[in-house]
Amino acid sequence: MSPDLAMVIAAVALPFVVAALTPVVFRVLGEGTGFVGTVVALTSFGLLATQYGEEGAVGIEWVPALDIALRFYVDGWALLFAMLACGIGALIFTYSPAYMHGESGLVRYYAALLAFMGSIVGVALAADLVAIFLFWELTSLASFVLIGYYTADDSSQYAARMAMFITVGGGLFLLVGLLLLSLVASDILGPGAAFNLAAMLESPETMQSALRERGLFLPVLGLLAIGAGTKSAQVPLHFWLPNAMAAPTPVSAFLHSATMVKVGVYFIGRVRPMLVSAEWLFLFATLGLTTMTVCAIMAVASTDIKELLAYSTASHLGLMIAGFGFTSVYGAETGVFHLLNHALFKAALFLVAGIVAHEAGTREIDELGGLRHDLPVTAAITTVVALSMAGIPPFNGFYSKELLFEAAVEASHHHDIGLLGWLYPAVAVFGSIFTVLYSLRFLSLFFGDRPDALGHVHRPPVTLLIPPTVLALLAAVVSVDPQLAVDAIVQSGLEATAVDPHEMHTGIPTSYSPALGMSAVTIGVGLVAYPAYGRLHDGIRSVPRAVPPIGANWWYDTVVDGLSDEGRAFAETVHNGMLRTYATWTLAATCALALTGFVAAGAIAPTELGLEVSMAIALVLLVAVIGGVAVVTSESHIAGVLTLSILGFMVAIFYILASAPDLALTQLVVETLVLVIFLLVIEEIPEHYEIEVGKIARDAVLSVAVGATAFVTVLVTTGARPDGSSEIARAYAEQAVPQGGGTNIVNVTLVDFRGFDTLGELAVVALAAISILTLIVMRGRDEGDALTDTPADDELPGGELTDNGPAGTRRDGGGSAGGDDE
Amino acid sequence: MTTVIMRTTARVIVPIVLVVAISLFFEGHNLPGGGFIGGVLTVTAFAIVYMAFGLDFLERGVLGRDVDPGKERSRDRVVLAYRRLFAYGFAIAVASGLAPLLFGEPFLTQTFVILEGIPIYDHLEVASALAFDFGVYCVVVGGLLTILSVVGAE
Repeated sequence: MSPDLAMVIAAVALPFVVAALTPVVFRVLGEGTGFVGTVVALTSFGLLATQYGEEGAVGIEWVPALDIALRFYVDGWALLFAMLACGIGALIFTYSPAYMHGESGLVRYYAALLAFMGSIVGVALAADLVAIFLFWELTSLASFVLIGYYTADDSSQYAARMAMFITVGGGLFLLVGLLLLSLVASDILGPGAAFNLAAMLESPETMQSALRERGLFLPVLGLLAIGAGTKSAQVPLHFWLPNAMAAPTPVSAFLHSATMVKVGVYFIGRVRPMLVSAEWLFLFATLGLTTMTVCAIMAVASTDIKELLAYSTASHLGLMIAGFGFTSVYGAETGVFHLLNHALFKAALFLVAGIVAHEAGTREIDELGGLRHDLPVTAAITTVVALSMAGIPPFNGFYSKELLFEAAVEASHHHDIGLLGWLYPAVAVFGSIFTVLYSLRFLSLFFGDRPDALGHVHRPPVTLLIPPTVLALLAAVVSVDPQLAVDAIVQSGLEATAVDPHEMHTGIPTSYSPALGMSAVTIGVGLVAYPAYGRLHDGIRSVPRAVPPIGANWWYDTVVDGLSDEGRAFAETVHNGMLRTYATWTLAATCALALTGFVAAGAIAPTELGLEVSMAIALVLLVAVIGGVAVVTSESHIAGVLTLSILGFMVAIFYILASAPDLALTQLVVETLVLVIFLLVIEEIPEHYEIEVGKIARDAVLSVAVGATAFVTVLVTTGARPDGSSEIARAYAEQAVPQGGGTNIVNVTLVDFRGFDTLGELAVVALAAISILTLIVMRGRDEGDALTDTPADDELPGGELTDNGPAGTRRDGGGSAGGDDE
Repeated sequence: MTTVIMRTTARVIVPIVLVVAISLFFEGHNLPGGGFIGGVLTVTAFAIVYMAFGLDFLERGVLGRDVDPGKERSRDRVVLAYRRLFAYGFAIAVASGLAPLLFGEPFLTQTFVILEGIPIYDHLEVASALAFDFGVYCVVVGGLLTILSVVGAE
């Protein structure tokens, strides 16, 4: 059965449409806008639910000339992820109004959240490489807005920039990977399938062997891994995720536990059948298990409940990546099932953290405890989901972790991986012990003694409680009857991601297996070590303090600070506010690029210069040369400008002699206008300059370089001219009168044949006028005004740049005005 | 620059320049000229006025309005008129491009008709491209004059 295109497109488009309407909705409903979001999310969920059980690709044309289509592929895996995004989205929208009560900027918040949800659904369903990349980057953009929600807050800005930098940067690697993939696909499957992921996934073996033949398999694997790894916070690029907790808690629950960070995992699952191999196992199992262990250890070292949850999220993402990394069917089962389980328990835990922070007024783990008396319902929810996170039977996290252990043990059976066959299970157990530890620590917020310093804790409003309750109930249902979830959705997700899918069965183990033994060791050691939690916590914390370079964040800060210092120094050299400096750099760079380009293209060849010019032309050019010399030697500015225009008029006459009257006329009027404008402004320029010899030398060298470049360019370009009139030139000449009704071919070309070009040039003139107007009007206004007017300006790094800006732009404005007239 | 010679010369040449500019614009389709050239020449005429009489001359001397010395140049009514001119010019160009869509032709398709038996002219050709070219003319004149007067006021 093929899916219904209209339903799929409606589900993807609806959030975007409502996002665009948010300002209007907010004006009517105020803070109730959140509930509109709930309705939108539920509608999208319902639309997707109608496609349940369908499988296939549908699409509409987008850029037919390049075979790019807005193509969607519906199967169990896509539906699982898209419905997860919509379902949890609905809960987040329900939770938001109470949590965000009284905050400003809610329009931006809800619009970004809706757009975000739409892009996640888009990534999940898209089956065209271009569409995937588009939605992929849209999620990064929306999350940038959401993480940086508290625009005035430095840490928020820092976190938003970091998340953007890492995820968008990773997205570029993904883009290159996708392009390589499309090159191979267009070779193998025909040009129509160049961007069609659905077609590629239909013949996975052919694609893999084609990639290997061209030596592109490892590059593609690596590039896709970098893209997915940055998005899914894999070591060593995991650090943006804990920083992203600067976002409001509902955002953290949605973006950083349930959906966006899982996009990488989702994508790995999507391409798994095509790329699965020994290299795949080695890359992703190692990457995932390392992330799982490192982030679990970091979570134990956290002091803030959201930080703990963020590291734990990264750790569980590692678990899913590792699961997909293992090539056996258990690996795919781990990935798909844990994606579902993790979304259920981690979103609930974030929402619980939000309730605790909101009602108790602190997020410090050490300041919290014994909250079960104040927040009984929350405590019950937390018990279910925290034990699930720990992987304690019979809670749902247990089943998927059990599958990971099985996959880790199984790995050595399928591939000859030597020592790794032992190392993978050992590391999986080692990492999981820390998972048990921090899960219990989180649970202990609600048990034990209540610290005296903790003030009165309010009861949360009911809309804060419903969403985590729903999630906890769902987690409980999966815990009690995991086979139900498997039958409903996991099995069909498995079929899309596994190479050799079979009927999946899961439940409480009844007989001994290595995986069960590993679980027992994990839970046993975790429980035994729990009393020493405090010492472990302090011990781990002291390491990065002693050796800063061990932390990935340190590297980020060092590199980014270094880059921005260099950038600033460079900008100050190039943009120092003097028009002269700007001209020097621009001209020098243009000459260098042009000449390098000619040399690289091998365009410069010895040319024989013909001297067959008529007497008249020679005379005109001679006068022009004399005019050029006179400009340099003229005493006053007025004489200089007048002699300069002699040069210009000679060029115009040259055009006339070369039978280009239109060009000559343009040259004449523009020359006249420039002359008049020069005369208008020339009074402002001082009579004489004192110029150093060094600067004269620099200017002389630069002018020779510019002259040489112009000369070489003319030679090269005219050398490549076709002999005689080309077909298009003849066509224009023949068609001018019958088609355009004008005998002036130039004008007919401009307005009839190539009107679109002319329209573009008009836009340039209009833009130049508008930008000069804006520059000058903005400068006249108060600086503070300008900053509050445009929220984007809040992101400027500091006052320094802002202060420099207008001084530079003022001269720039004057300069480009002159430039436009020429 | 505001010498008597300059002013007297300007009085004589500005009308001539303007007439030439307009004739260049209209002849563009069959002889050298056109919207861009006509527009630049028109701007030149205005620039000569500015040079000879100062930037406020149009507002004060021609339109007879008072000018506040402290007022922002970009808020002047003359500058506003220039801004409107280039906005309308752009709109005309785009609209003339969109018009063929109504007849099922591609964007920016042009056509022409030849009218016979017109008094004096006898034989007149009307090209739809003239509307587009008029848009070009307006954008060039409006845009350049905006730039000229705003930057010139600095």
